[in-house]
Amino acid sequence: MKRSGISAVCAVRRTFRLYGSFLAQNLKNEMVYRANFVLLVGMDLFFMGINVAFFAILYANVTTIGGWTFHQTLILVGSVGLVREAAYLLFRQGFLELGDYVRTGQFDALLVKPIRPNIHLGFRHVSLTESLGEGLMGLALVGYGFAHVGTGWAAIPLYVLMLGVSLVIYYAFCLAINSAVFWIIKSQELNSIVYTFMETARYPRDIYRGLGKAIFTFVIPISLIATVPASVLAGRLDWGLIALAVIVAVGMMSGATVLWNWSLRHYSSASS
Amino acid sequence: MRKYLTVFRVNWQNSLQYRAPTVIYILGYTLYISVLLFLWTAIYGEGGRMGPYSLSEMMTYYLLQFVINSVVLSYVSWEIIDHIREGFFSHFLVKPINYFAYWFTINLSGKLFETVLILLAAAGIGLVVGPHVAFPSDPRTYATFLVAAGLGLVLAFELEFCIGLIAFWLIQVRVFKYMLQYAVFFFAGTLLPLDLFPRALAEVAARLPFQYLVFVPIQIFLEKRPAPLADFAAAGVWIVAVYLLARWVLARGIVRYEAVGN
Repeated sequence: MKRSGISAVCAVRRTFRLYGSFLAQNLKNEMVYRANFVLLVGMDLFFMGINVAFFAILYANVTTIGGWTFHQTLILVGSVGLVREAAYLLFRQGFLELGDYVRTGQFDALLVKPIRPNIHLGFRHVSLTESLGEGLMGLALVGYGFAHVGTGWAAIPLYVLMLGVSLVIYYAFCLAINSAVFWIIKSQELNSIVYTFMETARYPRDIYRGLGKAIFTFVIPISLIATVPASVLAGRLDWGLIALAVIVAVGMMSGATVLWNWSLRHYSSASS
Repeated sequence: MRKYLTVFRVNWQNSLQYRAPTVIYILGYTLYISVLLFLWTAIYGEGGRMGPYSLSEMMTYYLLQFVINSVVLSYVSWEIIDHIREGFFSHFLVKPINYFAYWFTINLSGKLFETVLILLAAAGIGLVVGPHVAFPSDPRTYATFLVAAGLGLVLAFELEFCIGLIAFWLIQVRVFKYMLQYAVFFFAGTLLPLDLFPRALAEVAARLPFQYLVFVPIQIFLEKRPAPLADFAAAGVWIVAVYLLARWVLARGIVRYEAVGN
């Protein structure tokens, strides 16, 4: 019992060390292409600007959406940006490359390394800049909304914790969807679903009713990703909702891992 | 003509062979539209109202946008960019085929399978939100809507063709292309009906050609455009103008072309 505890600590430390080396390596790579970096940040700001404009136009016509005011909604929009940036810093880019790995047979190399292939895949392509503009603008929006809503600073630790839970849900969804890559071979469209998943996460959970609400909670949990953390900061704290998000995160993560491990067996190693 | 029919047939078979990506794409877009329909229902349920639109008009707007997005809007710039960047464009310099007409054919045949799927998906959503769909009172509206959508299809292709040709000048086109494409779609009315924009922005949108891709056809369907014939004429003028622009850009691009790769 004690020994397995020690080996678990070792495994975690090793994972952190590996992550550190991959991050350092990729940062060096990203710094070489400075023009690309400026373009990427510019694009993120452009798209975030359009998202904010969309809600600004809505709120020019209405005062609340699902009970959420404009400033509370900015926290929702910003939270999606923060989760996305965290995802790019941990795993997201790797899944965008997965189709190429599988098609060319390079995925073999990931299978023989002494680290789980899904973790290796994510770490190998960690990117600070791919979504940095969205992350920074997300932080600004959350800050701006938070300043207007007037919730105390004490809410911040729970907010950050719930962002982490949302990140787990996002990862689980990404892993589950990408499990299909071993049949479909192309991952571009699969990841467009993952993209839409986050694009639709910025609307408050309160707009859903009936069967839609159940689906968007347990099957495609877009109603939890932004709403649960944002509700903490927006002064709409609901412990029931927080418990629900944790349960969904644990359930989805377990399900996605089983699905991914099963799908791995269908990898045909199609190298030439 | 026969050579274009062949291109059409080959590409149509191609798109049938790769069915899964199209199906997945439609599923993703269905998710997006469903969420928006929930959004409008919630807003109107709270007593809100978006400008001049009733709830059923808003639902109809997004349901039609859902279909137009696949049937009218064009996404061929990806392939055009790859063609130019990887040097396949060289083949066209020595073949008796018109580059513009070639891609127009690809654009059309690539849409057939997607059109069938999107109509099925729209019918599915329509069954759920059925009572909320605002059908035209005058049966002739269907015909004018189809003409408007047809003009939008041609104009959308021309604009997308021009975006693709940027690859003659820039090597890293991805980011630039996304922003241009999205600006076109934004001013076309895919995100929001243009008459909900703030006044100044709505004025700009009303002077740009992009409104004829999405906003104007849907307004015609909702019977909110007083003179569809004037819209047809304006769209026609833009189609000619953008066609001339595309030819000019292509001619300049060929001069710049470096035939990298092949």
